Amino acid sequence: MIYCLSAFLVLLLSVQKSYSGNIEYDGSVTIRLQHALVALEDPTFTERGNVTIQSLRLGQATINQKPLSSEEQLQLRDLAAKNNFYQIKSIVTANDGSQKTFLSAVKACMLAESELDDRLSVSIDYMGRVIAVALIVASKSTCEGAVVPLEKLKHFTTSVYVRHTEPGPIPDTASYIQKLEREREAKEKGEVKDNRSFLAKYWMYIVPLVIVMVVSSATNPDAQQGSQ
Amino acid sequence: MASFQSIMKKYLIILVIILNFQILLALYEDQVGKFDWKRSFIGKVKYAHFDSGKIIVGTEENTIACLNSRNGNIIWRQLLEDPREHQLQLLHSDRDLLSISGTINNWFVRTWDHHTGTLLSEWTISSDKSIPSEFTVVKGILIHIFPNLNSHLDVVTYNLDENNQKNTIKVPAPWITDTSNCVLTQSYYICISKNDISGQLYYVDILSESHNVHVKTLHSILGDVTDLIEILPFDDILPAFLLSSNGQASVVHVDKDTVNRKIYKVMPNAITNHNGEKPLIYQLEPAVHPDKLVQIRVKDYVTCQDEMAIELDYPIGLGVPTIVATATKNTLTDILLSTTDNAFMLVRLSDGKIMWTREEALSNIVTVEFFELPVSELDASIENEFKASSSSVFSMLSHRLNTQAKQLSTLIFGGQLMSKNSLVRDEFGLHKLIVVATKVGKVFAIDTLSGSIVWSYRLPNVEPFSILGEDKILLFAQRTARYAPLPAECILLAKDKYTGKGVMFQFDPITGYSKRGVKKLDHRIAQAILLPYEDDQHLKPVLIISSTNEVYLHPSCAVAEVYKQASRLYTYSFDEIGTFKGFSFIHSTKDKLRMTPSWELQLQPAKLVAVKTKHPNERVHSQGRVLPDRSVYYKYVNPNLIAVATISDDLVHKHVLSVYLIDGVTGLILYATSHKRCKGPVHLVHSENWIVYSYFNERFRRTEFAAAELYEGHVQSNSSVFSSYAVSLLPHVQSQSYILPASPVSMTVTLTERGITNKFLLVGLSNGGVIEIPWLLLQPRLNDLPCGPEESCIPYMPEIPLPSEAVINYNQTIGRVKGIEVAPARLESTSHVLVYGLDLFYTKVAPSKTFDMLKEDFDYMMIILVLTGLVVASYLTKYLAAKKALKQMWK
Repeated sequence: MIYCLSAFLVLLLSVQKSYSGNIEYDGSVTIRLQHALVALEDPTFTERGNVTIQSLRLGQATINQKPLSSEEQLQLRDLAAKNNFYQIKSIVTANDGSQKTFLSAVKACMLAESELDDRLSVSIDYMGRVIAVALIVASKSTCEGAVVPLEKLKHFTTSVYVRHTEPGPIPDTASYIQKLEREREAKEKGEVKDNRSFLAKYWMYIVPLVIVMVVSSATNPDAQQGSQ
Repeated sequence: MASFQSIMKKYLIILVIILNFQILLALYEDQVGKFDWKRSFIGKVKYAHFDSGKIIVGTEENTIACLNSRNGNIIWRQLLEDPREHQLQLLHSDRDLLSISGTINNWFVRTWDHHTGTLLSEWTISSDKSIPSEFTVVKGILIHIFPNLNSHLDVVTYNLDENNQKNTIKVPAPWITDTSNCVLTQSYYICISKNDISGQLYYVDILSESHNVHVKTLHSILGDVTDLIEILPFDDILPAFLLSSNGQASVVHVDKDTVNRKIYKVMPNAITNHNGEKPLIYQLEPAVHPDKLVQIRVKDYVTCQDEMAIELDYPIGLGVPTIVATATKNTLTDILLSTTDNAFMLVRLSDGKIMWTREEALSNIVTVEFFELPVSELDASIENEFKASSSSVFSMLSHRLNTQAKQLSTLIFGGQLMSKNSLVRDEFGLHKLIVVATKVGKVFAIDTLSGSIVWSYRLPNVEPFSILGEDKILLFAQRTARYAPLPAECILLAKDKYTGKGVMFQFDPITGYSKRGVKKLDHRIAQAILLPYEDDQHLKPVLIISSTNEVYLHPSCAVAEVYKQASRLYTYSFDEIGTFKGFSFIHSTKDKLRMTPSWELQLQPAKLVAVKTKHPNERVHSQGRVLPDRSVYYKYVNPNLIAVATISDDLVHKHVLSVYLIDGVTGLILYATSHKRCKGPVHLVHSENWIVYSYFNERFRRTEFAAAELYEGHVQSNSSVFSSYAVSLLPHVQSQSYILPASPVSMTVTLTERGITNKFLLVGLSNGGVIEIPWLLLQPRLNDLPCGPEESCIPYMPEIPLPSEAVINYNQTIGRVKGIEVAPARLESTSHVLVYGLDLFYTKVAPSKTFDMLKEDFDYMMIILVLTGLVVASYLTKYLAAKKALKQMWK
């Protein structure tokens, strides 16, 4: 089986709008990543690497992951071939020293097919507390097991996205009142002078008239011919 | 001048007609009650008084009502404050009706007119003590007693006849050890010091000058008793109380210095009747006759002789009764009974017939499910006829002949069972059965056409689960009535009142028949889901997850079937402190399903207030929204999306409301938003590709609505299969918010068969109205696009208009709306709606108007006349034309 490199464009996550102007908080977060390469009901997690987000506001991250050992590569290939899940555990340490643990899973075959190109989505709440760390693989379709050559399963190319909580919408009363004001003013000023041309103004009356005339003139000669 | 006026009048009439045409959405006067019905309830009866042919009741729903004693109908009803905080403490019927209701240290004292229920006066009592207190009225004096344990009684009296003149007394009473061992009868406050025979009886007359405390040993009153002794109240009019031991009670009469035990024993549920010539005691006992359940025994209070014992025609389905009130008029005695399943009934002696029953359990509905009715016998046999039952030609022939003979017989002689009670499916699915589960654990089936109760079933000792502060019993439709001759099947899951473990009840929702009855499970239920796969019997299995994360399946034989789908099965669980967990079933085996955690979210320190998924039967008809430039903006329709709302306390912003959209398979947060200085109550609606939620804005002190809609963009990533794992693009989110000039208490969205019809939000308001708001009004407007009639877009208005024509229950106020349930009819335009709370209101709504139905005033005669006219005319002209052509040829 030839493994085909699907090199489609992934428009992922780049749509992140920047709310940096509204954000009142900032801080750094370190995430210790662990992964489970054997599909067990109670998996054992081994170290995968560390991610340090220096500034939550800017979303800049330093990623430090060691390449997979050959044994781990085999395990991962096995996981992908059997259509199992690749699970990660992220231990997040915030500025104040508090720790939170998150779980996430992706289909191992999707991770293998993307050649270990994964994305880490770090969601934070309105105060800058981490509420979720999810691993995703950018793809347009899922797979049901895949065999990928071992040399492609070595280095993780992880991108980290810090996803802020958007400020919610507020009822826009000001512009609505302005709009009403404008309408009222326009009314007070009286009718706006209509400076369209005669045709533009009355085309709806002219067009049917013309059509009626054309139709009647077209039918008349026929009638005359018929009577002859 | 006169002619000018007449012209003006004509114009005015025309104007009025035009204006009327625009509000066609509302109901015509003659349509009132045609598509809808309302049933009013009062709640579990706490106090009842007879009053010249009427019954005045006070209930646990903090409601006072007056009922007609002939049929039990409500003459008037007054809803007082919210029963979750305020409770009725006293209902005294004298010249006027006096009610006291309130919290632990704030009470409203109100007087009402007996006949009309109008409020005559209202004043308040408040106290700085937060201890349970008691009220009583003796000879026109309202007494309010605060028992301070081991110390004294604080007594406040109000003279009701003399302008509520207040008087405070302090009665030393160091002998009060436990208020549950004390009773108040007339102006006597009586306590026992211990619950056995070695205890003492203390009593004091509060209204006496000296406040002499009398002490008696229980032994001197009761003699030798070895069992536990309890003190119980007996009567308001006689100064007497009950001392109960071992299921039997002695009446003890107090008279100044002496206490005097009556020689007879009564049941603890006994009550006295003062209407007749002499006071009589009424009590309920198990009947002697094997066919009857309950009998009433009547005793003379003074002479202690048995007057009579009457066996009642007590129906089987009802719970254990207690007597609430009695009254005698001439030779007839009326007895009011209230049962453990909240029914309220009137029994008339001397024949013991039940005159009427009110099912007050319906005043507290927790879960509603709509069920389709089975097809008629004729239709079922036709369906049966074409079912390929065997392969051989002869057997098929005989099968066909057989069914056709049966069809003929049903056609001629009429169906036997189904057509008699007319529970038969109609063509448009407008006739359905509503199965409701109530808080006391009684299940009812209600006919949508008439609102009558078809059957009821009482589940003893069950209570609802509490999910985010809301009571819920789970009801799942495992099989609908579509698969005749297999009966419909429904499963109910609730909690045992005593053990907290699960209770399962499997029944046929159409008849109420249960093969297995109530089954007690040996585990607690943490989560239950109806799986979308059907087995060969068309039964959908229900998956139950216990509190220890064990997985159970009902029916358990479906494991093999579910195992095939296990790799595509996911579930989630959450707790109130904000941990959200996702599970997969990938490690299941062929004979046991196993759940393994796959993702986790931690929303702490925020508190979860609402979690909503889409309705499982919802269909999305349109995949996108057409923009003015003719391009399509595709909707992001993720069936695994969970909408979650949390509220966190904040030092700066007081409260912050956060709303998240989470993918239930991967745990990825697709959208997160926060509203600062906003608090609950939060009502969340989740449908198609959008959510709407309401909250209270503390900064502006108003209720606001926010809507968020998700789009994929101008290209659809995968039009055939949706997978949560294939994330190529995060959805674009459009959001907008509005002001709602009302306070919502419940919110839902209409649901139709194919999702073609527009969506309406149905919002239950605190004023008892249910209003419909078109989704089009709330749909977020796209930023840089024009919005006007050409784009079929309503320009943004910050305040949602609430016209009175949009109130679907018109002038029929619904008491304390608690929830709204919708279900699709088979007619695309129509949804069934049931609004429940203290009242029940059913109606049908058609958000896009009834486009697939002829109006009921449709002129069939006219259309027949026009059509025949046209046919005749066309033939006539054909004949004439032929004649003319012939003439022309001869020329």
